Amino acid sequence: MEILQQLINGLSLGALYALIAVGYTVVYGIIQLINFAHGEIFMIGAFGALSAWILIPGESLGIWQLPVMLVVGMIVAIGTSLLTERFAYRPLRNAPRLAPLITAIGVSVFLQEFVRLFYGRIPGFPDAKRAIPFPQIDYVTGSAIQLGPITIQRAALFTVIALVICWIFLYVFVNRTRLGRAMQATSQDPDTARLMGINVDRIIMVAFALGAALAAVAGLAWGLRYTNIDFRMGFIAGLKAFTAAVLGGIGNINGAVVGGLVLGLVEGMATLIPGTFGGSAWKDVWAFVLLILVLVFRPQGLLGSRVVDRA
Amino acid sequence: MIRIPRVITPERQQRSDPTGRWVGIAGGVVLAGSAFLPWAYSFAALDGMTLVGYPSPLQYFGMVLGLLVAGLIICSRVIKPRGKIRVGWVRGAKAASTGALVYMAIIILSIAVELGGLINVVYGGWIALVGALAFVGTRLMIMDQPPTLARAQIRPTLEILLVAVVMGAALFATAFALNIDDGGAFVSFVAFLGAFIAVLFRLGVMGFLSGVSERHRKVLILAAFVVAFLFPFTQGGSDANMSIATQVIIFAAAAMGLNITVGLAGLLDLGYIAFLGAGAFTAAVLSRSAFATADIHPPFIVVVLIAGAMTATLGLIIGSPTLRVSGDYLAIVTLAFGEIFRITMINLDGEAGPNITHGSNGIPAIPDLVLFGFDFGKPHVLLGIPLGRFSNYYFLLLVLIAFVILVFVRLNDSRIGRGWVAIREDEKAAEAMGVNVFGLKLFAFASGAFLAGVAGAVKAHQDISVTPDQFIFLESAFLLAAVVLGGMGTVLGVLVGATLLKLLPEKLRFVSDFRLMIFALLLIIMMRFRPEGMIPSQRRQLEFHEEDEELAERIDEEVEETGALKGAGVL
Repeated sequence: MEILQQLINGLSLGALYALIAVGYTVVYGIIQLINFAHGEIFMIGAFGALSAWILIPGESLGIWQLPVMLVVGMIVAIGTSLLTERFAYRPLRNAPRLAPLITAIGVSVFLQEFVRLFYGRIPGFPDAKRAIPFPQIDYVTGSAIQLGPITIQRAALFTVIALVICWIFLYVFVNRTRLGRAMQATSQDPDTARLMGINVDRIIMVAFALGAALAAVAGLAWGLRYTNIDFRMGFIAGLKAFTAAVLGGIGNINGAVVGGLVLGLVEGMATLIPGTFGGSAWKDVWAFVLLILVLVFRPQGLLGSRVVDRA
Repeated sequence: MIRIPRVITPERQQRSDPTGRWVGIAGGVVLAGSAFLPWAYSFAALDGMTLVGYPSPLQYFGMVLGLLVAGLIICSRVIKPRGKIRVGWVRGAKAASTGALVYMAIIILSIAVELGGLINVVYGGWIALVGALAFVGTRLMIMDQPPTLARAQIRPTLEILLVAVVMGAALFATAFALNIDDGGAFVSFVAFLGAFIAVLFRLGVMGFLSGVSERHRKVLILAAFVVAFLFPFTQGGSDANMSIATQVIIFAAAAMGLNITVGLAGLLDLGYIAFLGAGAFTAAVLSRSAFATADIHPPFIVVVLIAGAMTATLGLIIGSPTLRVSGDYLAIVTLAFGEIFRITMINLDGEAGPNITHGSNGIPAIPDLVLFGFDFGKPHVLLGIPLGRFSNYYFLLLVLIAFVILVFVRLNDSRIGRGWVAIREDEKAAEAMGVNVFGLKLFAFASGAFLAGVAGAVKAHQDISVTPDQFIFLESAFLLAAVVLGGMGTVLGVLVGATLLKLLPEKLRFVSDFRLMIFALLLIIMMRFRPEGMIPSQRRQLEFHEEDEELAERIDEEVEETGALKGAGVL
């Protein structure tokens, strides 16, 4: 039963990673940039959702607030993401590979510090230098569901359902809409796509926005699940999500989802490893070991088939 | 695409040139004269700028900049070029006026920050700012030919004397800067130095100096170390600045190791701090601390070798994926290794794993080093000047960094170094030419790691305690920033980068909360406008500006003149 419980935990954790991982994968698929700051976009999505709750008068925790929080979180995350794209990454489009990666690290630190220093200065907002309790919305959080010996947190269920909805949306968007198909074309061959009349700059913005929107969903789910958020939450989560994206095959949207779920399951299972190097203290180590093993032995990832020289 | 009409035509420039000259001279004189007037309302701001007729040091510096602007403009008209040797007077004047404006802006902002509001800037300060706006005048002047001072030569004895004088001036400036306690005054002084050096660059004096240093490289290196050695004696027994200096050197040594991996071999390592940590933990575990977990306590020389060997092995392990992955993927692999290292150090606490590091508490109470009967913990008196604990470590670290620089330079100038350059520029071509790509990549990781491990072993004793949270990802990012900001692949660049990154936070306590944010912005802006760093190697500069034909031609010319690519490694 312990195994089943960890499977459930791992699956819901994996759903979170998957939601963030999509952002890495779409951006990488199009401009081959590891958007190091994507973890911070996720964090900002969570803060945006929290801000919406604070701005709604009263201390109500009704379920109707959830969509408001989600939309505001998305808008803030997308806005930030587009700003970073415009002012940090776009000028470096043709620079050597090292430059945008270092810029991305700079953007990541900048966004963290920006939230830490300035969030609390907005009147009525809590100080962001410490962890901030996240509102616990009716129905979505609260007493856990018991299925025999297995406990399922409501927020975990919410995360998985959110992932399923987003995945369906993504599938339709990428395969059935003009914009989605243009995105695919750009990721396969940007120069030819440009010749075919696709506005590549716009597609890159769409990729950033798409990733940011899903990261905001993940931010909200994270807040509901772990009951508090802080400015540092994006770093490890982002790193794990990137691992997930690589695991599934970077550039491949389905791969990101599958990779996220697999990574979550591996972390869940790792806590079951008996003996000295098991337990929750070592689960992060196992996740990173998995990342290294995948990169060394199967750099194209689980679902990836494209072998591109990524020098 | 919108076509921007050419507003500045040659004719208009011809017409406005005399006006610009007079405005520039007037501005410079006004700025110089304003030094005798009070700039700030209260004596508490900066270094006391409230007196009439008695300029404070910072006001003197403003005066120097003002006189430079005026003087250089006059020189540009009065002094005619002799033979083939040209001095970039107008270029220098433009740099001086830009520098003066930045300098005044920083001073006025500092007064406002320290006293609370622009209201505290007194009339003299505003007059000085108006003078600094001579900037506008010099902008109107016609740019002169690039300077050719680099071709000049004077008598060898004079040149050696010049090296000594420049080094002495550097020592004096450093000691002066470090003894400024006021944050605003410190920034202003750094701005002044920056402006002054920029003027020298534009005049062509720097080209001359670098020619001199090429001709007398041994003298220069000797002088640099003599100056570094003399530095503690300028501190009058105070250990505060020496503590900063030791941190700077350890940081620089680690950055130099990283420079091998990133700057020479072009392998991005985002988990480099783990090597410093591994060295520090090895030394701590083997030390005579009551909390050390190893039963054997070998002498420090042996500990250093063990730490180096440990980290070099770790470097080999971390480098091994380079066979399969490269570029961005490698960066992520190293980042993951860095995180694994940190988490492992936290977990080796006796509960989650065997007890080696006491978990997040780390190993405290590491005793001071005793080498050949010399106790580093005790103050000593040398030549009548007391030297504290940090001064002792400073001397040891000086030896260490000399060793690190030696390793770096020798590697760079060897077959191995050329192999790294080949790999960095085109891995496949290098392999086709018979370069042992995998072996050299592994060696880059191992040698970089070794240097960091040795530095870490000294750091453990100097810091007294070692904890896992000293080795977070942000520290790796800082090290990388030192390499990138200073200039990838050069010794001087990394030294300057490391010094600035460690020194500024110590002196800018009043913006301590914002320092990470400033650091991040600096990184972004630097990547945008000067990705090759402040003092790049020319080869690197070309790599970052592949499409810049002008730069390529300029470097080509210089190569023809001097016969070699400058700054491929040393200075």
